[in-house]
Amino acid sequence: MLDQLGNGLLLGIIISVASVALSLLYGVTRIVNFAHGEIIALGAIMASFFSNLPTSRYIFLENTSPLGLSFEISLFLSILICGLFGAVLELFVFRPLRRNEFGNIAVLVITIGISIFLRHLYLIFASSKPQNYPLDLQRREQYFIFDLTPRNAKIIVYGILIMVLFGLFISLTKIGKQMRAVRDSTELANISGINSDRIILYTWILSSMLAGTAGIFQGMINDVRWNMGFLILLLVFAGTVLGGIGTSFGAMIGGFVIGIVVQVSVALPFMEGHTEAKNAIALAIMILILLVRPQGIFGKKERIS
Amino acid sequence: MIKPVLECIGVAAGYVKGLNILNGVDLVLNSGEVVSIIGPNGAGKSTLLKAIAGIIKINAGRFYLNGLDKTNTPTYKIIHEGLGYVPQVNNIFPSLSLEENLEMGNQKNTNENFSDVYNLFPLLKERSKEKAGNLSGGQRQMLALGRALISKPDILLLDEPSAGLSPNAVDEVFKSIVEINKTGVSILIVEQNARRSLEISNRGYVLDQGRNAYSGLGKDILNDEKIVELYLGKM
Repeated sequence: MLDQLGNGLLLGIIISVASVALSLLYGVTRIVNFAHGEIIALGAIMASFFSNLPTSRYIFLENTSPLGLSFEISLFLSILICGLFGAVLELFVFRPLRRNEFGNIAVLVITIGISIFLRHLYLIFASSKPQNYPLDLQRREQYFIFDLTPRNAKIIVYGILIMVLFGLFISLTKIGKQMRAVRDSTELANISGINSDRIILYTWILSSMLAGTAGIFQGMINDVRWNMGFLILLLVFAGTVLGGIGTSFGAMIGGFVIGIVVQVSVALPFMEGHTEAKNAIALAIMILILLVRPQGIFGKKERIS
Repeated sequence: MIKPVLECIGVAAGYVKGLNILNGVDLVLNSGEVVSIIGPNGAGKSTLLKAIAGIIKINAGRFYLNGLDKTNTPTYKIIHEGLGYVPQVNNIFPSLSLEENLEMGNQKNTNENFSDVYNLFPLLKERSKEKAGNLSGGQRQMLALGRALISKPDILLLDEPSAGLSPNAVDEVFKSIVEINKTGVSILIVEQNARRSLEISNRGYVLDQGRNAYSGLGKDILNDEKIVELYLGKM
């Protein structure tokens, strides 16, 4: 059980970071982004492309070798590319859709289309073979009650640090406050003199960078696959909805709870031999909580006017 | 010399393409004036303010701010040019604190602006760290006025500032409007409480079905039997 708690903490951190990103984007833009999983995968795949050695067994686009850059530089570049990709999506897809006043359902269907398109693009680019980063194998060690490798312990620390920094950014900085203002009302933000288009662009960039980071973490603890974003997306949605969609703090906690429940449920007696069904327990708990608290754990019903 | 700070010439605008609510409205707001726009429901009063603020598109006609053509200027840009706007609903950021609400309107980033607003509405200072979503209707209206005023606008557009407020809160709001005007801010008010609004106005416009029906001095409109009968109702 304690083994699984450590793994749960790890998965919880990853889902938490990805859920915060999804929740931030939804809160500010009202877009339910089904392509979020593919942005998660983009971070992981790009990091693999940049970091694996040209002599490794991985081939991109059937004849291109990886670049063999240092892992730290690869992380930096991959996260940067995710941010740029988010900016491209906003500038060339979602801003024109917003200008033409596309309905929420139409936009949602478009995100599904982008998701499918990107996933298959990754299949062509990165092939269907699971890949690993060029990182050395590590032995598990005891951290308090958790049994983790030093690398995985670092992922937990970095994940928590990222969320603390994100919390400070959104609460204390001018752009963070403007993001919260646009989340409350885009029209009122404009009336207050805030360029809401610029704030939405920053939100796409920040959300995509966070999603890419979650993807890299996922790649570090498991492997990198063309459909890894799609596989984790349901849990990310579950974390976001459980915490209270649109609330970053709620998404943080919701993601964490989902991750821990998914991993810990593997250790339950009736799950023996059925570990593939581990997501079902987490999703069932999410449904139960939402039946009691439809706005999620931290979602609030507020007066609008 | 009287100087127009805001001028609409033949403005036509609406929410749906090809269906105008305003059909050629003319309006002038001079420096230092309070001007009321009154009329029946659906006359296009609020629509006119939204068209001026760039929230909806002006399909025909022109709108000038301090003599410069600002037709269809994006909302956030027009706010930077000295226009303040307080919408009737959704006029505060409920998840932000009162202080943060004011900060959002404070594009010039000066602390002096905060103290001016706090002097006008001391309650906003007392409760500055509270979430705006917890405020009552009258307090929300004060916060909305404070948010618009903190950027030191030359012109203030007020959409139904007394709607849904208690009689005491209505008194407070109209008192504040007079105080704000005394500081030199020109004010354009859309108000259902037409009598109250005209009492504090230099001039007034009556809109009906998206067109100018009448315009004149505030007191003249209040004393015009025909307008009183058609648009204000007998006391």
